[in-house]
Amino acid sequence: MPESISPSLVKSPKIAIIGNPNVGKSTIFNQLTGLSQKIGNYPGVTVDKKTGSMNYQGSNYEIIDLPGTYSLYPNSEDEIIAHRVLNQLKEEERPEFVLMVIDSCQLSRGLFLATQLIDLGLNLAIVLNMADIATRKNIAIKTFEIFKALGVPILSTDARGEKGLDQIRELIHQQNFSKKSSFINIEEVVSATLLSEVKEKFKLSNSYQAYQLLRFGEKDKTFSLDDRNWIKAKLSESQLQLDAAQLEETKIRYRKITSIVEKAVVKTPDAKQESGIDKILLHPVFGYLIFGAILLLIFQAIFAWATVPMDLIDGFFASLAGWTSNLLPEGPLSSLITEGIIPGIGGVVIFIPQIAMLFGFLAILEDTGYMSRVVFLMDRWMRPFGLHGKSIVPLVSGVACAIPGVMAARNIGNWKEKIITIMVTPLMSCSARLPVYIILIGLVVPNEVVFGIFNLQAVALLGLYLLGVVGVLFTALLLKNILKTEEKSFLMVELPTYRAPRWLDVLWTMYNKSKTFVFEAGKVILAISVILWVLASYGPPDRMDAIRAESEVKLAQASPDEIPVIENETASLLLENSFIGIMGRAIEPAIRPLGYDWKIGIALITSFAAREVFVSTIATIYSIGADTEDELTIRQKLNQQINPETGEKVYNTATAFSLMVFYAFAMQCMSTLAVVYRETKGWKWPLIQTVYMTALAYFSALLVYQILS
Amino acid sequence: MFITADSIPVSRAAIIQEILDSPLKINLMELGFLPGKTITLQHSAPLGGPMAFRLEETILALRKTEASLIEVQLL
Repeated sequence: MPESISPSLVKSPKIAIIGNPNVGKSTIFNQLTGLSQKIGNYPGVTVDKKTGSMNYQGSNYEIIDLPGTYSLYPNSEDEIIAHRVLNQLKEEERPEFVLMVIDSCQLSRGLFLATQLIDLGLNLAIVLNMADIATRKNIAIKTFEIFKALGVPILSTDARGEKGLDQIRELIHQQNFSKKSSFINIEEVVSATLLSEVKEKFKLSNSYQAYQLLRFGEKDKTFSLDDRNWIKAKLSESQLQLDAAQLEETKIRYRKITSIVEKAVVKTPDAKQESGIDKILLHPVFGYLIFGAILLLIFQAIFAWATVPMDLIDGFFASLAGWTSNLLPEGPLSSLITEGIIPGIGGVVIFIPQIAMLFGFLAILEDTGYMSRVVFLMDRWMRPFGLHGKSIVPLVSGVACAIPGVMAARNIGNWKEKIITIMVTPLMSCSARLPVYIILIGLVVPNEVVFGIFNLQAVALLGLYLLGVVGVLFTALLLKNILKTEEKSFLMVELPTYRAPRWLDVLWTMYNKSKTFVFEAGKVILAISVILWVLASYGPPDRMDAIRAESEVKLAQASPDEIPVIENETASLLLENSFIGIMGRAIEPAIRPLGYDWKIGIALITSFAAREVFVSTIATIYSIGADTEDELTIRQKLNQQINPETGEKVYNTATAFSLMVFYAFAMQCMSTLAVVYRETKGWKWPLIQTVYMTALAYFSALLVYQILS
Repeated sequence: MFITADSIPVSRAAIIQEILDSPLKINLMELGFLPGKTITLQHSAPLGGPMAFRLEETILALRKTEASLIEVQLL
């Protein structure tokens, strides 16, 4: 049978969904694609590529969710994607159909983008979403008038209420999209001869696409240098003023749209203006208090809830390692798997509860429309430090974990503000620092109440968090004065109507962000864990062998009670003489002025993997045994450590505070580094960050120790 | 008399006369700040922070510097 081509060989048609921000685009995408979503990468940028497939009546369609944008002229990395996908030169790589989602209450703004798409010669259909809200606001839209003016199919839907979704599926299935010649005549703005030269050179048929190519081709690295030079030459030859042309285009376009909207929209006046909630939430005093309270609530929830799954994950990987080591024959392979790879994967997975929950809360704040209000409230306070109102999201996330924070920095459009945000976010005191702080504070700060209400230990802990904030502001100021950019910083955000969050979308965000983290950052973390394992397990063979031989002799003579003690001593001796132990001794002269001995030096090196490793390393070095759960035992043990030279306690007040300050500032988290690498697309920023933070930590700790001792 | 949008008093409405020339002119126009449209100042963040204007059915927040690019006439 000729028609029986196997389904996998038939390419499914590609449909791109596009629209302004906050129009319910993602809801439509989620409803259409359900569980089939995939997150990929666009080459060269960090914007996630969201695709999914839709099955309808036996046919399969590939759906692409493009980032929200107001026009084809991009202002941020997100918007470049929409521009690039739709402007693709090769016909076969462009999506076959484009579904343009418009907020029914924001018709003219939506039509602005829609008509640009028409001019690009795309196969288009328009969805007028949020029909319910328009009705509530007494806005009636005569869709036929719009259809008459544009000539592309139009649907009216309410995606949140799942109304009209079947019509969308049907529309896609019927391939009921249509291509119009053009909406405005771009030759009113740019000379026709120039456009036909471009069309000829790049084999294009559409004048508007030729114009877009002239506008952006010169800086588009996907073009060859020859092509870019050609465009540059053409531009200067024709003396085309790009900005003026764009302005002219915008005016012409809006003039035409306004006349359509006047015919199509019937607005009954006295529409309810709901700004009552904002009177409180944006209040100059209460607005900030409420924001603070919400933050407190979120952190409370994260600290209270995330610990349960984190402990479970920790336990699971510990028993998995134990089970594997019993299963495998003893040897380097077994130990690589049980001491390197499994804890390495565990070290990635353990962050999932926090990342998922934090992104869940952020998604709720975003989806209800509150997040733009926070940007509005905070922008004034961020700006003096070279940050943007939008930087508040990464910084706030940073208190739980820098990883989602750095990931959240990507929707800051301005390059300089984005880099500063990424650079300072890891200075916020994240939850991984907490175990270190708690142990050391417990050691040197008395558990006393002063002035009737303040618990000294709590004050010390608060002080460390504030120190993180001070580090952030200081570093941001520093970078603000160093980094140069010609980009102008601006803030233009919509404060959307408040709405209940869409729980399904929240869950999707949680799932997708965690997945991205595990697969992207996970690779790097795993590699570094294995390196650290090698350094901690191997040493000069003669020394290691001698220790093992001696231990066996002792074990042979020992009583059953003594065996664990001897085993711990051996483990500690082996670590001391491993490469990492040798490195610890090597850096001792450098860390001596901070009040640390070589044992702390080892912990500093191993904590490069993750800060909380400090506790388990210290536990191993002082041979407390594998059980690090009981922090009291470690504390008692640390308290007993005596410096053989001075006869004083190793962990005196000066050393403990110096260590805490060091941990507050040092870059000791390879997961964060991996994410910074991913977000900045190179090793330059993660390296600068590591060097800077380590230097800041070193000198601050030095200062603290020298003052206190 | 024309003023710029950053000096509209809270809750007052004004008609946009012109968007002054600047690299941000197009961004403002894309958002719908067009001559002839009415804007109302809804909220103003403290200490010269951003200002939130109602423009038709949306509320848009701008910094003072951006608002000063919008020339308006008070209603």
